[in-house]
Amino acid sequence: MIKNYLKIALRGLAKHRSSSLINILGLSVGMAVALLIGLWINYEYAYDRFLPDYDRVYRLKRHYTLDRVYTSNAISLPLVDLFKNDIPGIQYAAEADWGGSAHSLVVGDKKLYLEGTFVGADFLKIFQFPVIRGNAETALSSPNTIILTASTAEALFGEVNPVGQSIRFDNQQLLTVSGIVEDPPANSTLQFHYLIPFTFMAQNMDYVRQACTDWGMNGFTLFVRLAPQISYEEIAPKIENLLTQNSPKTRDTKQKLSMQAMQNWHLYGKYENGKAVGGYIEYIRIFGLIGFLVLLIACINFINLATARSSHRAKEVGVRKAIGSKRKHLIFQFLTESFFLTSCSFGIALLMVYLALIPFNSLLGSQITMPFRSPSFWLIMVAYISITALIAGSRPAFYLSSFNAVQVLKGALRGERSAVMGRKILIVLQFSCSVALIISTFVIYRQLQHVKDRPTGYDQNRLIMSDWSEDISRNYQALSDELLKSGLIESVARSSSSATNITFFSNIDDWAGKQPGSLSLEVAAITISSSYFETLGMQIKSGRNFRDQLESDANSIILNEAAVEKLNLKEPVGQTITWFENQPATIVGVVENAILGSPFRPVEPTVFTPKGFYASILYRLAPQVKTQEALTQLAPIFERYNPSYPFEYEFVDQAYAQKFQLEVIISKLSGLFAALAIFVSCLGLFGLAAYLAEQRRKEIGIRKILGASAAQIWVLLSRDFLLLVLISCLAAIPIAVYFLENWLEQYNYRITMSPWIFLIASTLAILIAVITVSLQTIRAGKTPPVKSLRTD
Amino acid sequence: MISIHNIAKRYRTDEVETTALNGLSLEVKPGEFVAIMGPSGCGKSTLLNILGLLDEADGGQFLLDGIDVSRYNENRRAELRMEKIGFVFQNFNLIDELTVYENVELPLLYNGIKAGERKKRVEYVLDKVQIMHRRNHYPTQLSGGQQQRVAVARAVINQPAIILADEPTGNLDSQNGNEVMQLLTELNESGTTIVMVTHSEHDARFSHRIVRMLDGQTVAESVLV
Ligand SMILES: Nc1ncnc2c1ncn2[C@@H]1O[C@H](COP(=O)(O)OP(=O)(O)OP(=O)(O)O)[C@@H](O)[C@H]1O
Ligand SMILES: [Mg+2]
Repeated sequence: MIKNYLKIALRGLAKHRSSSLINILGLSVGMAVALLIGLWINYEYAYDRFLPDYDRVYRLKRHYTLDRVYTSNAISLPLVDLFKNDIPGIQYAAEADWGGSAHSLVVGDKKLYLEGTFVGADFLKIFQFPVIRGNAETALSSPNTIILTASTAEALFGEVNPVGQSIRFDNQQLLTVSGIVEDPPANSTLQFHYLIPFTFMAQNMDYVRQACTDWGMNGFTLFVRLAPQISYEEIAPKIENLLTQNSPKTRDTKQKLSMQAMQNWHLYGKYENGKAVGGYIEYIRIFGLIGFLVLLIACINFINLATARSSHRAKEVGVRKAIGSKRKHLIFQFLTESFFLTSCSFGIALLMVYLALIPFNSLLGSQITMPFRSPSFWLIMVAYISITALIAGSRPAFYLSSFNAVQVLKGALRGERSAVMGRKILIVLQFSCSVALIISTFVIYRQLQHVKDRPTGYDQNRLIMSDWSEDISRNYQALSDELLKSGLIESVARSSSSATNITFFSNIDDWAGKQPGSLSLEVAAITISSSYFETLGMQIKSGRNFRDQLESDANSIILNEAAVEKLNLKEPVGQTITWFENQPATIVGVVENAILGSPFRPVEPTVFTPKGFYASILYRLAPQVKTQEALTQLAPIFERYNPSYPFEYEFVDQAYAQKFQLEVIISKLSGLFAALAIFVSCLGLFGLAAYLAEQRRKEIGIRKILGASAAQIWVLLSRDFLLLVLISCLAAIPIAVYFLENWLEQYNYRITMSPWIFLIASTLAILIAVITVSLQTIRAGKTPPVKSLRTD
Repeated sequence: MISIHNIAKRYRTDEVETTALNGLSLEVKPGEFVAIMGPSGCGKSTLLNILGLLDEADGGQFLLDGIDVSRYNENRRAELRMEKIGFVFQNFNLIDELTVYENVELPLLYNGIKAGERKKRVEYVLDKVQIMHRRNHYPTQLSGGQQQRVAVARAVINQPAIILADEPTGNLDSQNGNEVMQLLTELNESGTTIVMVTHSEHDARFSHRIVRMLDGQTVAESVLV
């Protein structure tokens, strides 16, 4: 019997070739989009879940209250011992540095500059990265050792077994390789090229040694693994108030501790009021919804074309019923057909996704693959096909099988009116989704441009930055002199932050005019050399720059305008404030605002000081030199003064553009999905218009004989559709506004949605719909009436 | 075989109510060949559809083989249609996407007959209606007479006890019409009960008995044999 059903289905497909093609193509695109998004969601969900016992791994979070509750991963080191020894239920705890700081590794003439992490002894017991060589138990136990990832080992040692070999670290110490672990996969939150015992850091870096006993130095992070059978709920009350119990200082800001499970790190990074409230998961939800909607749009095409074509099938239904077919047989028959069509579309969709994965992965920087070999994948795909077939096929199946045999055999099709109404509602649904996506694309794009166009307050052209090192620190004066002398560089400066990231914050605790009882002001603190403002191209608004001799300016600071405004200082220059652990400082100048952090946020109130440590060297190429040539000539200069590091640099404008990466991806994806949604919707409209023009052929012929012009016929056939698209536009606007308001809210610096956007998006949708429908209706209008009347 | 008593059928549309059958009674004995005649709109097709369990009467009694079927639900009606009744329509009603062979085979598929048996039976009836040579053609490639012969073949393939034919020759010329009437007569002679609606006195003479209808009621009967 199924053979008979498929035979009929296939012959029907062949007979109505163009509408079948539309059906299959539309469904393929819909299924491909949903599948692609599904694979992506699966990938994001699998983040950090590749390690054994991942569900017992946690990271410590610190909450502190200023004007609101802030949440941070940064904790102080005295906590570590408490966690290791005093809290039952915690099996292992390992401290780590902030991660993401790069150091030089030198073996022979091979130099690498890579990011790695300093980790406590139990790190590999918490994160059981597969150990290829060495012993996981002991690899982190003595300070002057290093564990490499497989790729780092390969780059430094090639084929040689690296365990036991030495590496020169930051041109200062020799470290012995104690083990090799596999590279962390792309969907791991922890990324590193090597691991070094934390004891090394404590022995060799003064500030770390200090930090070991200082409850206020929050520059570290703590990972924890719970004992088996212990739930986080049992631990939470024991750790919540550890800080205020042990360190009176932390009581001012009501500091509390909590932990976040590893499987939530990636998706629930956003904390509000001390609770994880979302984060990346919001994009997952939105794009999951979009995937479903595009699939739904494709299914609606299927439904609409099937019900519109029902008169073709009516006779068959009547005959089958007269022969003795029950209704359930017919429902089963039509569902079989839709299952068959859906399977064909799925095949095509699979191919589409397979091809799309390469550009998709490179856009997202992900490593999504199609798990062809996993049986559970195919099981889910069968479910996917079945559900799609049900969504697409149920309404046609129930509608067609409900036909009354007597009526349809007589040639009269009843109930058309309700079918037409249903069809219209579905078209409105399709276009509402499409228009909402178009509006979203516009708004996201506008927001992106808006932020990109935001004046940065300094000149990024030809501005380059490199990381600091001990050697540069020693040789800074000579290096800077030689760079300037070469004529390649017009200006050099050093600073404690790169030009695009602020890494250090402090508080201004007291200033003239401060209201008694009001809070300290959190400020960005950046240590700079006197050439900094000139190098970046920032204007001093009042007062003066720092002098070249540090000694004479030791207690001077320069504020940016944002800080002056926050402090509400009328005559800032010359005033004294207290900041950074009660140090007094005199404001000698005010500099204009510049975006040195997030372009989406207001400019941070900033204190520039000549005192402190450095992390970056900034230099601007002279205008006449060619960039590539200049860089090749700069390399040997840097290598001379910074011998153990490869010459690495970053253009400030590129680093700045990186900050929009997520937004660029979101804008590209929403554009792509909006285009596909409107494409699939129009595919359906195209098929439907063709079908209805065909159905009204006789009427059109008669109208023409009575004198209707081609234009009048066009209006007659198009206006219903256009009305529907118009209604869709109106319906789409509030939906889009709701979602976009939410999205925009996360950006401090954002556009307001103007009615123009809605107008343009709606016009675009209507225009596309008009063209689609007209492709069919103009043809119907032009056909000579004799032809229309001859048959039938 | 068929016994209906006081059957009524009304159609309600928005504005008007039409009485299609108005307390009609009729007996058809096993093996009989009955022709139903009457002016257009008098309710002939309505009657035939009710007899064939395609439509429901609004009132009255319907005994099929002595069993009251007037309250059967759609599923049991479908079963009965499959088992006992074959239809022949004026406009043939073959499925265009199926070949001659497949059209005739269809009732056997619903009946769950095995493939080998199906082939034997389809070939047998196609042979009998002399359309075997066209078995792989599609309905649109056949003449009206040929199509109707296929329709008759499909109607008898399940060996129904009753064949209901609604103007089976209405769309055919006299030559083709006669061939179809010949077929029906042969079927009747081999024991099948036939109820046929017709406008043609010539065709009606193939039957045993002519029932004449007017305004939803039988008005006269003439027995021919
Ligand atoms: N679905 C329907 N809705 C409303 N009225 C109907 C419907 N079907 C039939 N009728 C009416 O019922 C009456 C009987 O119709 P029926 O089709 O049985 O006539 P008929 O005798 O078969 O006529 P003909 O010889 O023209 O085929 C007619 O008046 C017809 O208009
Ligand atoms: Mg009739």
